Amino acid sequence: MGHPSQPPVGVTAIEYVLGAETVSVEELENRGLLETPAGRLQEFGFHCVHLSQEPAHELGLRAARKLLEAASVDPESVDAIFYVGATPHGHAISIDDPRSAFNYPVAHLQYELELTRAITAGISQLGCAGLMTAVSMARNFLIANESATRVLCVSSDVFPAGSRREMIYNVISDGACALLVEKGAEKNRILDYRQVTKGYYWDLTTKENEIAAAYFPTARAIMQDTLRDCGIDWSSVGLILPHNVSLRSWEILLGLIGAPAEKLFAANIARFGHAIAADNFINLRDAEGSGRVQPSDKLLLFTFGFGANWACMLLEH
Amino acid sequence: MRDTILLTGSTGVIGRALFPMLAERRDVEQVYALVRGGGENPSLAKVTSVSGDIVAGNRIGLNTHWLEEIAERVTLIIHAAADTRFSAPLSELRAVNVEGTRNVLNFARRCPRLRGIVCLSTVHVAGKRTGAIEEEIVEHSAGFVNSYEQSKYESELLLREGMRDLPICVVRLSTVLGDSRSGEVAKLAAIHQGLRLYYHSLAPMIPGAPSSPVDLVASDFAAAAIAHLAISNFTAGSVYHVCGGRDTLALADLLEMTREAFVLHRPAWRKRSIASPTVVDLATFELFARSVDEVGDNLLRHSVNVIRHFAPQLAYPKTYEDAGCRHVLASMGNERPRVADFYPKVVRWLVESGWADRNLMAPVEAVAS
Repeated sequence: MGHPSQPPVGVTAIEYVLGAETVSVEELENRGLLETPAGRLQEFGFHCVHLSQEPAHELGLRAARKLLEAASVDPESVDAIFYVGATPHGHAISIDDPRSAFNYPVAHLQYELELTRAITAGISQLGCAGLMTAVSMARNFLIANESATRVLCVSSDVFPAGSRREMIYNVISDGACALLVEKGAEKNRILDYRQVTKGYYWDLTTKENEIAAAYFPTARAIMQDTLRDCGIDWSSVGLILPHNVSLRSWEILLGLIGAPAEKLFAANIARFGHAIAADNFINLRDAEGSGRVQPSDKLLLFTFGFGANWACMLLEH
Repeated sequence: MRDTILLTGSTGVIGRALFPMLAERRDVEQVYALVRGGGENPSLAKVTSVSGDIVAGNRIGLNTHWLEEIAERVTLIIHAAADTRFSAPLSELRAVNVEGTRNVLNFARRCPRLRGIVCLSTVHVAGKRTGAIEEEIVEHSAGFVNSYEQSKYESELLLREGMRDLPICVVRLSTVLGDSRSGEVAKLAAIHQGLRLYYHSLAPMIPGAPSSPVDLVASDFAAAAIAHLAISNFTAGSVYHVCGGRDTLALADLLEMTREAFVLHRPAWRKRSIASPTVVDLATFELFARSVDEVGDNLLRHSVNVIRHFAPQLAYPKTYEDAGCRHVLASMGNERPRVADFYPKVVRWLVESGWADRNLMAPVEAVAS
């Protein structure tokens, strides 16, 4: 939990783009991109996904450009850019030439957006927890650097064309999300952030069952610890902003944590499924847009990323 | 008069602990151990293994020679044989646990010197009842967590009928964990499999409440108690609870003791950072179990089914009254081992025996006889 003497830091602006092609889960099944029958996935709350022909760095660039324009951000005012990608191929632009492994999307972003003062860094190996971790690291960066005021965080994930679109019974979209983390923020102030990493589950290929089983008890623990750390309980939480895994798994998790279903912002699970690291902040953007969030509401964001990382953030709107 | 005993189920968890104990007693003349399929018991003086099967009619599968000899000589029958598979269809369980018991009773009616029949049952005949469970056979409509419970309940109703013309005593066991001194487990049952799933991070949740009482009994104490109730203090028409009674562990405490024992006896396990199973309400557990049934792969589905076949009992908290049993056992001289003392020994034995490396897909059997 942030120290009272620290300046408030929050998420002041969010924009996102999804893959241009909207595809139903039935169509994914027809294309052979699912393992579980489409009907079952629909029961789990999934209806559509968005597929992108654009590479991840282009999608990320579009999301960031949209953000800077919408928020009228002076490019010279951005102190740092943190670029998030869940998979290794998301951290290099073209890999045909071995040297292109060093063609980093974050440098490309800095150049294209003319963020000439900004230092850059890539954040990876956190799966779907990457963007939340980046926001936390941005906060730490702003607190540690007295003169810094603004960090741009961008996450972008695009699966290679023809890839399977299901991971542990969740349906995956391509998407990018850009957000501003600012010192002195008037909204979405970060009250707390927790991350738990359990390296035992590092090997997804042999530990999928164990990961599926471990997900729930640790998810419950990290959310309860976050609330306890902030001295509040579920009655004080206005909205839960989820990662868009199956609605069924959220029903189970709500049962575990004792939170009512109406506190879950679940509208986007059907609309685009799971956009890797971007979900929680896309949901924050859409919850704000739909009027579901009121000033001073406490917002709880939870995600799980392969690696294995459980992450939870509490914001005050 | 020294007793001649027919023991069914001599190769089961309780039977294995019981027949050496019977053979050692001076007031026992001989033990006939009924063995299905020609199996053998370890050679012991006074113990004769005879081939038979309780489901094979009123002769319980005995050939004419053994039928006549045993019927003529037997003074006590200890009926411990049962089908203890939680996941088996009710019809299969009834064939052994109800019809097999009927056959044993009919065989008993051929025995002129018989002074008693001790039938082993389970405290879980209480099914989904909650609260205090008395040492008596009562009909109820609360339902059951699994078919095994139901079949043993139906068996008890049959025994109650049989009490009209036969000297029958019912001994209900709670979850038999292992030896109180060595921690040894004669046969892995559902609770041991459940612990193994926790060890392997395949037990995400357990239905119940953190305060749900978990009743466990040590196998050596259970066997000694049965021998005492059968031979030294047989009382026709009585029902006894051989269980923890008031000495239970709360579910949350049991999980914490388990974690501590894993870490103590397998220090490398700590680095896995495996979370204890979450204790959840039954509806949430069932939703999870249904979801795994619908989409999970075989290992996860099996793991959840292991838990599903017995753990929902914890969602129906109850206390097994055992005043009658304790009163009779007071003359036995053996103190009932405290569960907090023997539970860690059993977990240690499991860890050191390599139980964690055995087949995770093994079928689920009962925790009691």
